[in-house]
Amino acid sequence: MSVAAAPSAALARPASSLSLWRGLRGFRILLPFAALIAIWWTVKVAGNIDDGLLVSPLQAWDAFVHLVTHGVIAEYASTSLRMIGIAALLSMLIGVPIGFAVGTNRYAAHSLEGFLRFLQSISGIAWLPLAIIWFGFSNTTTLVIVIYSLIVPIIFNSMIGVRSIPENYVMALRSLGASRLRLVTDVYLPGALPSIVVGLRLGMGYGWRALIAAEMLVRKGGLGDLIFGARTFGQIDRIMVGMIVIGCLYIVVDRLIVQPIENLTVARWGLLRQ
Amino acid sequence: MSMQATHASASVHHALGRIGWRLLPAVPFVALLLAWWIAWELLQPSKATLPPVADVVDAIWISAANGDLWTHTLASLWRLLLGAGVGIITGIVGGFVAGLYRNVSEFLNPLVVFFNAISGIVWLPLMIGWLGIGTALAVFVIWNTVFFIVFQNTVLGVQLVPQVYEQGVQALGGGRWETIRTVILPGALPYILTGIRSGLGFGWRALIAAELVGASTGLGHMIFQAAEYHRSDIIIGGCLIIGTIAIAIDRWILLPLEQRTIERWGLVIDVTKEQ
Repeated sequence: MSVAAAPSAALARPASSLSLWRGLRGFRILLPFAALIAIWWTVKVAGNIDDGLLVSPLQAWDAFVHLVTHGVIAEYASTSLRMIGIAALLSMLIGVPIGFAVGTNRYAAHSLEGFLRFLQSISGIAWLPLAIIWFGFSNTTTLVIVIYSLIVPIIFNSMIGVRSIPENYVMALRSLGASRLRLVTDVYLPGALPSIVVGLRLGMGYGWRALIAAEMLVRKGGLGDLIFGARTFGQIDRIMVGMIVIGCLYIVVDRLIVQPIENLTVARWGLLRQ
Repeated sequence: MSMQATHASASVHHALGRIGWRLLPAVPFVALLLAWWIAWELLQPSKATLPPVADVVDAIWISAANGDLWTHTLASLWRLLLGAGVGIITGIVGGFVAGLYRNVSEFLNPLVVFFNAISGIVWLPLMIGWLGIGTALAVFVIWNTVFFIVFQNTVLGVQLVPQVYEQGVQALGGGRWETIRTVILPGALPYILTGIRSGLGFGWRALIAAELVGASTGLGHMIFQAAEYHRSDIIIGGCLIIGTIAIAIDRWILLPLEQRTIERWGLVIDVTKEQ
């Protein structure tokens, strides 16, 4: 199916064999990983590397099966996902209105731009030691750090988004007697949405990393806790499984939630990319 | 006479307005300092929870005077320089190879997406076992963070150079290497620089996170150690320094570089050449 079918599939593609083409695409995505696992296995066997440094793919698979059947992965992963979900929701609910309020006033926007830039350049994780003093080793600490990482880019980009809307639109609606609420729903929100989504995506990038780092230090559940806890017991198999799960979850969140929103807004609001 | 007076007062107003406009960005910082100071005077919290403003200034001053601050700052900056340097070079070289050969980029793409998703601090637990605690670990984490961002932007930049330009140079007898040097490199440069800028932003964050657990020097270690002694004055001072360094690198080095390149290779050169 693999190599021999490739040319014929390419020829037949426009006509019928769509499913074969899909199968081939899936194969193309999996092939690099197969190669990587082969290299990993070779290194492990040829180098005769100790289990305390690197485990074989088979051992990692065993650990994965063990962690899944005992519900460990589900518990740690759901903690992380719940945390990033709550943080993203709260950041949007609080951040976008603040961004709009600031963005509609040019004095406020000018005065806060530098301040927000400064906040954004102090990473959330740098506040972790202070958050630990304030809130202890608790989930509150993690949540505060993740919200901080997420909300600053969202406020900043909502503000930039509102600032970039041509003033004619606002004036046109106002002269037709639109209320403030109408202005928000009909002008500010659609006009700023592409920019807000950019902020959300950047914030998710910062926030997810801050979450993993915070979980490593706070040690109250979550995937960061899983891999860092495994470190203290030298369980390399668990660390590697945890890393793979973290990568897959991030891709799923990014591809299934953030990117579709981005595509939707970009396509709908006429910034369609080729 | 009176008209002159109104004119003068108008320009005074105008000047005042301009000075006010210039000073406006300082308002949030001043407001925060005031709020902090008032909150401290009213609530009188313990110094471990919220130190008075003066304590933070003192903590930075003492740390700078006995040299600790410089040791930690230089350790962090040195790691950033090493990790980002290696990350930028490998990212650009790899990005060019992947960008020029479509087979390579198609093969590597799934791996890049996956490893980008776990770039940086996710490697920390595994790498502590391999590299131990210290500079090598921090450099790895920064390299890992910077590489993927620069790589992806370089691939994008190389692939987005219009083929017409390549064909133009080739039609005039330019070789493969000449095409890369005179067409693709300048064409991709704005994207590469955007990648470097965003990569360093993520890299600096990853470094601080890595230093919290995996180093015995550096600004991240400084603030984490301060947490053990409940020295929130050092933590807040350290956070301010971390932010200032990040903003200084971005504003004074990366942004001017990016803008100059876009100016030079972007629109301006087209106009002059066509004339």
